[in-house]
Parts: sequence; structure tokens; C-alpha cells
Amino acid sequence: MRTPVFLAVALATALLVFALTRAIGNDYLFFAGYIVIQFIVLSTAWNILGGYCGYVNFGTAAFFALGAYTSVFFHKTYPLPIPVLLAVAAGVSGLVGLGTGYLTLRLRGAFFSIATLAMAVVLQTFVVNWNYVGGSRGAYVIRPNELDVFGYPIDYIQYLFLIMILLAAVALTIARAIEHSKLGYGFATIRDDELAAEASGVPTLKLKLIATTLSGALMGMAGAPFPYYIGYVEPASTFGLPYAVNSIAMPLIGGTTVWFGPLIGSILLGTLTQIATVTISSAVNLLLVGALLVGFVIVAPSGLVGLIQQFLRVASPARPDARSIGLIALAAFGFVVGVLEVVFSLAALTAPDSTELATATAGLVLAALWIVSAYGLMTVQGWSPIIATLAFALSIPIAALHIWLDRTQFNIALWGACIVIAIVAIAFLRRRRVQQLYAPRLGEQEALA
Amino acid sequence: MTALLQVKGLGKRFGGFVALDGIDLDVAEGQRLGLIGPNGSGKSTLVNCLCGTLANETGSVTFEGRKLDGLQAHTRTRLGLARSFQLPRPFVSMTVAANLKVPLLYAVPTREHHSLTAAETDDRCAELLSLVGLVDCAHKYPRDLTQVDMRKLELARAMAAEPKLLIADEAMAGLSHSEVGDIVALLIRLNERGTTVILIEHIMRAVMNFSQRLVVLVSGKKIADGRPDDVIRDPEVERAYLGQ
Repeated sequence: MRTPVFLAVALATALLVFALTRAIGNDYLFFAGYIVIQFIVLSTAWNILGGYCGYVNFGTAAFFALGAYTSVFFHKTYPLPIPVLLAVAAGVSGLVGLGTGYLTLRLRGAFFSIATLAMAVVLQTFVVNWNYVGGSRGAYVIRPNELDVFGYPIDYIQYLFLIMILLAAVALTIARAIEHSKLGYGFATIRDDELAAEASGVPTLKLKLIATTLSGALMGMAGAPFPYYIGYVEPASTFGLPYAVNSIAMPLIGGTTVWFGPLIGSILLGTLTQIATVTISSAVNLLLVGALLVGFVIVAPSGLVGLIQQFLRVASPARPDARSIGLIALAAFGFVVGVLEVVFSLAALTAPDSTELATATAGLVLAALWIVSAYGLMTVQGWSPIIATLAFALSIPIAALHIWLDRTQFNIALWGACIVIAIVAIAFLRRRRVQQLYAPRLGEQEALA
Repeated sequence: MTALLQVKGLGKRFGGFVALDGIDLDVAEGQRLGLIGPNGSGKSTLVNCLCGTLANETGSVTFEGRKLDGLQAHTRTRLGLARSFQLPRPFVSMTVAANLKVPLLYAVPTREHHSLTAAETDDRCAELLSLVGLVDCAHKYPRDLTQVDMRKLELARAMAAEPKLLIADEAMAGLSHSEVGDIVALLIRLNERGTTVILIEHIMRAVMNFSQRLVVLVSGKKIADGRPDDVIRDPEVERAYLGQ
């Protein structure tokens, strides 16, 4: 697909998501969705430097805050419409990106990362001591309730959501365009071997500066509408660790080499942390992200996309067939269910009730079963179809129990669907072609004999 | 006729250690030059100074009448001075074909003043692959290559930049007898197409088969320069290699 076509599709998808969210008609969905989408932009931006070029930036929060404080500054001096603020923030953060790049890109590996961390501290100190934008007290940005678009009033939070989702579409288009271009080749050579890149005629410093500028500008743009969203910004939270950690964890969990890796990672982690915020507490978020990050670094260092690519190399080297797509779908379902179950079980664990405690413990065991079977299916382990069948089989009585306990229409539809999926999945796992894939290879059998 | 590459009084130190000491070297266009010397004699340092990976402290390097001092490595590659590395340094996340596309995308257009079309890039890529005999490996990743194929890839990537002067830094270390023959034949073929080649090598059979002229470095100094047969009989060269 050519880039303009992709951009059109991305923007259309963004508008569709916006329309669907409006159709559901719950304001909270806009609040929660905004954060998730903001992380799509941040992690995509991080990935341009971190994933494509291999330079790990710990300073995401600084660029984000730069965008946010650009908005605060203009809100006080000369209020501008948000699309204009986005452009200004892109300029400011891009320039800072270029400057830091110029100063720090002689450093490699951990030293570069430490330098970006230091840059974040310097900028935070600067903002803390700048009284005009609120200093350490913070600043209030009162946003209007509604915005008038051509005589049609739109809720301001919906407007912010719309801006952010369009920005995400643009960011993803940029990332994808880079990947398929000369620039993408250049970035990859920098990640692989800078000396060899130079010897092949790649102007490495120039390309790295392009990456830091672009990445910084996008991060700044993600931060620009933030003061209007949150209403009150102060340095400690705007420069907070969660931005840096999340924008590293999301691409790493999704996959760093392709544009949809950060997208998958941020939708997954972003949604999960939003659910955890509601069901447990916002403090547990970072713990959850950290645990997932550690888990992925150990069992799937190239992220979800890498895990699936590896699976496809084994299962259907030529082109994905129905069997492998079905198995990927099953594993994805199992993984999502397992992770959700962990969050809900943790929420139940905080309850003092002893029955709740028992359900929570059972839930955690089930969650482990789901996640292990998803991992096993994707790494073609001989035991995984049995474990996966067990997980799906156990889910049928549990779903039935849920329906029996609460017979609302929504509940019946949700858990009914789960039962149908489980039956289909078990039937699919028993197919001969699937069994063949997971049977020990002929050569191995001979070797054992 | 002026030489393609002129090196005058090139010097490089690492702290107190003198790696190169006043090297003078002229290489004529179309020549096949062998460069030998014991370990630590400064061969690789010389290559690094010529290609801009290291900066020389004294002396100057002139290429096609243009001073190269202070230019970065990628600019020198674009001007037509390419090198292969002693230990192959492929781009590990790319296929063999994609490895060759990098110089085609970055080094060639600057000299031809226009970017190659996708079809042209693919054509040149295929041509290079068949020239070095890696057609079957085009879609493999470097980690799946044998040692000799890895060496061929390293040379092919340097050749993809369409250099006027190619410096092959120990392209044959660790290869078998027949594999060494393959690589020498490849380099001679390349030279016949008009590329000047400097070969740095320890394998004397390869050097003697390949070189029209032989230069010997010892402890950062050039001690001999001339026809290969004369040079290896030079008593000073014998002393450097065999001791007294």
C-alpha cells in the first residue's frame, strides 16, 4: 500500500473509532481512550529512535512535558487553538530533540540512555524554577466545556480525543513510511552496525539527528493537548517516570521492528492499565507494566510480533494458511483472557471476603493456564494443545456459572460468546493438521528410538 | 599521470605507541596492490586512516586529486573509496539482498547524481549476487551463511558502492585452499572491470597470485615496495618475518 492510501485508511479508521466511541455514549470511555491513544503516539515516537535506530531514550517524559508546557505557556500569554499548539509543540520539541541529539549521539548504548535521563532532569529543574508556567506549584488550564464546530457544539473531551486519535493515525503513517523507505534502511544499518553503515555510505550522524528530531517532535505533539485534558499540570507528574517506562515497555512488548508493534503494545498495555486503574488502583499500573516487561524480556525478547513471526516461520513458511491464522487467533484470545484474568483476580484479592479470596486464587491459576497455553501454542510446544484444550474446557462451566448468576442480556451475550468460542477452539485443536504441527518431528522420533 | 590514491607522510599514534610513521604510497589507477606485514604492523590502521574510520594526525591522503583529510567515512565511500572489514560486519537484521541495497541506496546515487529506481536497484543487486555467487542466499539472513559466503557478502557490499578503489582487509582469513582461490579470482575479475584493488592478506599464495605490486609494512613503516618477486627476496623483509 502506498503511503497516501495508508494515511487515508488510517485517518478513516481513526474517525470510525471516534464515531463508535460516540455511539457508545459514555464520557468515561473518552477519558480512558485518550490516555491509551496518547501512548500509541508516544510509543510510536519512541520506536522511531529506539526501535529503528537502536538508541534507547529514557527521556520521553521530558519531550512530552515540553509539549505540555508549551501549551501552558501559550495558554497564559496568547491562547491558541489546539491544532496550532500541536504544530508549535512539534517545533519546540523537535528543536530540543535535534539539540540533544547533537550533544549526545556520540554516546552509544547505555551512555546515550543515561544522557537522555539527565536531559529530563535538567528540563524538569528548569520548569520547576520557571514561575511563569507555575513552577513546582503547577498551573491550572481551564478548558471550555464545549467547542463550537461550524455551529455544531462538540464536547471538549471528545474534541481532544478526536485530535489525539488523528495524531496517532499520522504518527503511525510516518513510522510505516520510514520503514519502507531509504531512511528505514539507513536506520536499520545504524541499529545493526554503525561502522559498517558509514563504510556503506550511510551518513549516520545525519540520520540519527533526523530520528531524534522526528521522535522528539511527535512526543511533544502528544503532550500539547495534555494540559487541556487534565486541567492541572505540575512538573513531578508531567515529567513522571510512567511516561518513560510505558513508552519503552509498549514497543518492547509489541515488537520494535515494525510500525504495528508499538500499536499492539500500547493498545494492550494502555487498556490493561486503564482497567487496573478502575478495578484496583492507579498505583498498581506501573507494577503491572513492569511485571509484563520483565516477563517479555525473558520469554519473548522480540515482542508479540516477533513471537508470531517466529511461529509463522515454523508453521507456514511460505504464506500464512488457515491453520496458522487460527492458532494465532486462539493464542491471542488466550493471552488477552489470561492477562485480563490476572487484573481482575488481583482486584478481587484486595477484598477482605474469604470467598472472593478463593475465587481470586482460582482465577490466578486459570490465568496462568491461559498464558502458558498461549505461549506454548506460539512456540510450538508438544504439550500446548492439551493445556489449551484444558483452559478452554474449564472456561465453559465458568461462563455458564456467570450466566446463571447474572441473567442480564449483556452478560448472556458476553459469556454465551465465550462458550461458543471455547467449543470452536476445542474442535479446532483436535483437528489432525493441528495435531500434526505439535506432534514430535519424525527426525526427533527416530533420534529418540 | 597522477596516481588515483596518494598518501604522503601519513602518521598515527595511539598514546605513546606509534602505529603509522610517515607512510608514503601512490597507487595508480587499475593497479592490484598487495599489502603485507606481520601482526601489529599497522595494516588495518592504515586502512582505517584511508577510509576515515580513524583520523590521521600527520600527513595527507589524496584521492583523485582531492584531499580527503577531515572527511567522514561515508563521504569517502561516496567518492569511490570502499573497504571490506577484516571481521565481516554484515547488517544482521537484513537479508543478504537488503545488505547490498544499502550502498546502492546511499553511496551510488551521490556520484550518479540521481537515485536509482527500484528496478535498477534490484537489477544491480542481482548482478552483484551472481558476480560473487550468492544468488541462492539472496533471501537468507547473515547468521545462516557459511564463513566463506559471509566473506563474499562482505566483499559484495563493498563492491555495491561501485568504488574506484576497493580495499579488501584480510578477506580470506580462515578460508580453505579452494575458497581462497575463489576469492582471489573474484577480486581479479573485479579489477579487470576497472576497479583498483588493495589487498591486505597474510596468505602468501593469495598475495603472490593477486598482486602486481607488493608493499610491506613493519612497525608502522613501509620497508619495501615493488614487484612481488623482488620484494619477498628483500633481506629486510625476510628479517621482519623470520627474524635474524
